[in-house]
Amino acid sequence: MAKVTVDPTEFHYVKFDADTIAQLVGEVADLVGLPADALININIDESTPLGRTVLTSTDPITLSIEGGAFENAKAPRELSERSVRDVASRLLFRVSDRLSGRFDDAPPEGEVPLPHNVAWDVHSVGRSARAGINVSKPRRLYHFRNRHGFNDVADAAFETLWNADQLSWAELDALVTEVAAAKTPA
Amino acid sequence: MKKLLQPDELARDARFSRVDMAERFNDKRTVNRDVDGEPGISSRNQRRLSPDTPGASDAARSLMHGIFVGEIQALEGAGRTCWDFEVGAGEDKVPFELKLDMARQCWDESRHCEISIKLSEWMGTELGEFGESAFLFQAACNADPVLRLTGVNRALEGLAIDVFNTMREFGKVAGDPVLEFCEDWMLADEVTHVKMGSDWLRRLTEDNPERRERALEFQRVVDKLFSLGGARGENDDSPIKLARRFRELAGFTNEEVDEIAGLAKEAAEELAARQAS
Amino acid sequence: MGDPRTPRAPFAPWDRRELPGKFDVEETARRVGNYKWIEMRLFEALGGWVATVPELDVKLRLGTHCYHHAWHAELWHKRLPELREMNQDRLTLPANDAVVTFMDAVTEPGDLEQTIEKLVGVYRVLIPHKIAAYTYHLNNTSSITDAPTMRSLRFAIADEIEDWRDGEMLLQSLLRDEGDVQRAATHQAKLETLIMKAGGITGPGSIGDAYDIGEGR
Repeated sequence: MAKVTVDPTEFHYVKFDADTIAQLVGEVADLVGLPADALININIDESTPLGRTVLTSTDPITLSIEGGAFENAKAPRELSERSVRDVASRLLFRVSDRLSGRFDDAPPEGEVPLPHNVAWDVHSVGRSARAGINVSKPRRLYHFRNRHGFNDVADAAFETLWNADQLSWAELDALVTEVAAAKTPA
Repeated sequence: MKKLLQPDELARDARFSRVDMAERFNDKRTVNRDVDGEPGISSRNQRRLSPDTPGASDAARSLMHGIFVGEIQALEGAGRTCWDFEVGAGEDKVPFELKLDMARQCWDESRHCEISIKLSEWMGTELGEFGESAFLFQAACNADPVLRLTGVNRALEGLAIDVFNTMREFGKVAGDPVLEFCEDWMLADEVTHVKMGSDWLRRLTEDNPERRERALEFQRVVDKLFSLGGARGENDDSPIKLARRFRELAGFTNEEVDEIAGLAKEAAEELAARQAS
Repeated sequence: MGDPRTPRAPFAPWDRRELPGKFDVEETARRVGNYKWIEMRLFEALGGWVATVPELDVKLRLGTHCYHHAWHAELWHKRLPELREMNQDRLTLPANDAVVTFMDAVTEPGDLEQTIEKLVGVYRVLIPHKIAAYTYHLNNTSSITDAPTMRSLRFAIADEIEDWRDGEMLLQSLLRDEGDVQRAATHQAKLETLIMKAGGITGPGSIGDAYDIGEGR
């Protein structure tokens, strides 16, 4: 299992447990197929209930997480193990993509356009589902439609992204271009 | 069956989780990130919903779930008004026609729940996915029927007008035909409910200005609570914008809407002060 | 077309409406007042129960049905002055004390574990008795003099049958084991006994007397 470190180790604003998070992320890393000797740093900003998540670095693998992303929506300030698995698998599949060489021509993190980000997330979450992680396909579809349009072309692209196992950046970019052309102007 | 049910007695199935509003208001995290120099605005809800922001669809799903549980509580509130008060002329009684209006509102709110359930499915939301606060039902707990009606039909349903209009606009901008359609219909019903409340307040307190003032004071208290720490306001960037035109259709005067806008500002300032202390 | 002045029968051959009916104005008003009283008690209880029922589908149907019965109460309320009762409250009454006892028992379950009892009372006992009394009224009143009551009865019966079907299906879906079936049956028997003692929702004669075979027959 990958070695996972969580910062901070103790939480004051929320009722999170660093060891639990480390354990869950380690298990997810195995499901994603990352090397057993991978080092993964999880930096959590517990002072915000927002839910932004960023892949800060692939070497070492570093995920920057706003506390709301790991929070149980039913119980404020409590940890949601389902959310940890969901977020970690989405970001770690992206790590896996970037390490594979298929995404070498993708812009660096932080410069990936929002439509591409959303599409890439669908590709990651689809694989998470097949890896046995409890994710919500309808939620992801709605997110995708909001970004790419409520039409058949967008829905077909979503299915392609969801079902694919190894897309490249060029293939992902082509799909985004296709749906952009079909999107009805708001 | 007992009269005057309390919020913690509302019956829910195992999917739903109750969230303590006091805990949410006292969550230190909500003021840690001031945005655009607006302290007190919850950082979870700090901006108007826009499809251009990365978390917009999840924010919309969360708000829609809030609307759904709010509709359940509005249904329960109208239903309890049918049950809690006898028909008669005293201050603890209500006219027969008021009960009929409340029964009609039960039907409307049931439909809103049904619409919300279908809409949640469309948006990829599981029932009970988000916590439920029973603070909306608080407005339906007053033992004076006029105060209850003012709290529910003018304050709670007034908030519903603002929220539905916000969501309808979001649906329009996002190009989501289902969201826009549903919110449009629900908005029409809410305008009717608020108008109903305004009409009954006027009729029941026609000869009793002191009672009317008490009811309006209760509404101010509830409206401040429903300002959600400043999340509701008049700015274009307000997460929930006061729907001035629809409120006027529902019988609010310009001055009354101004007052609610003022209360929202006060609520934001009070939240900031409480959390800073 | 022939000469439009050719005399025709005032009642077409297919129009079988008749005079007189079984009820005079006073009796009709009494029954209508009983109907309004029952419909009010029912919609109030359905509204009150909404918050006490955890099953979401049941909760939403009760909210819908609450309005149906309020609307029936309104129909009867509006009919009373047309039946020479200008003070509607004077006739908005239960048929007898036993009807009050029955309705108190129907509306008594308030706990969240009592959805079965709530539904049994309304959909297996009260509504079937309402359908029976309304149908009896509809079939026995004068179709000429009392047409306005008949029109309201038809609207009400249509709702009652739809609501009965909704409620009965919800109830069937809630009966998951023998214990549930027994609970439902026990509560139904208790309420059925009470309404039997009351003579129906408008008292004795709510649905006429099936043993009245007339003299010499």
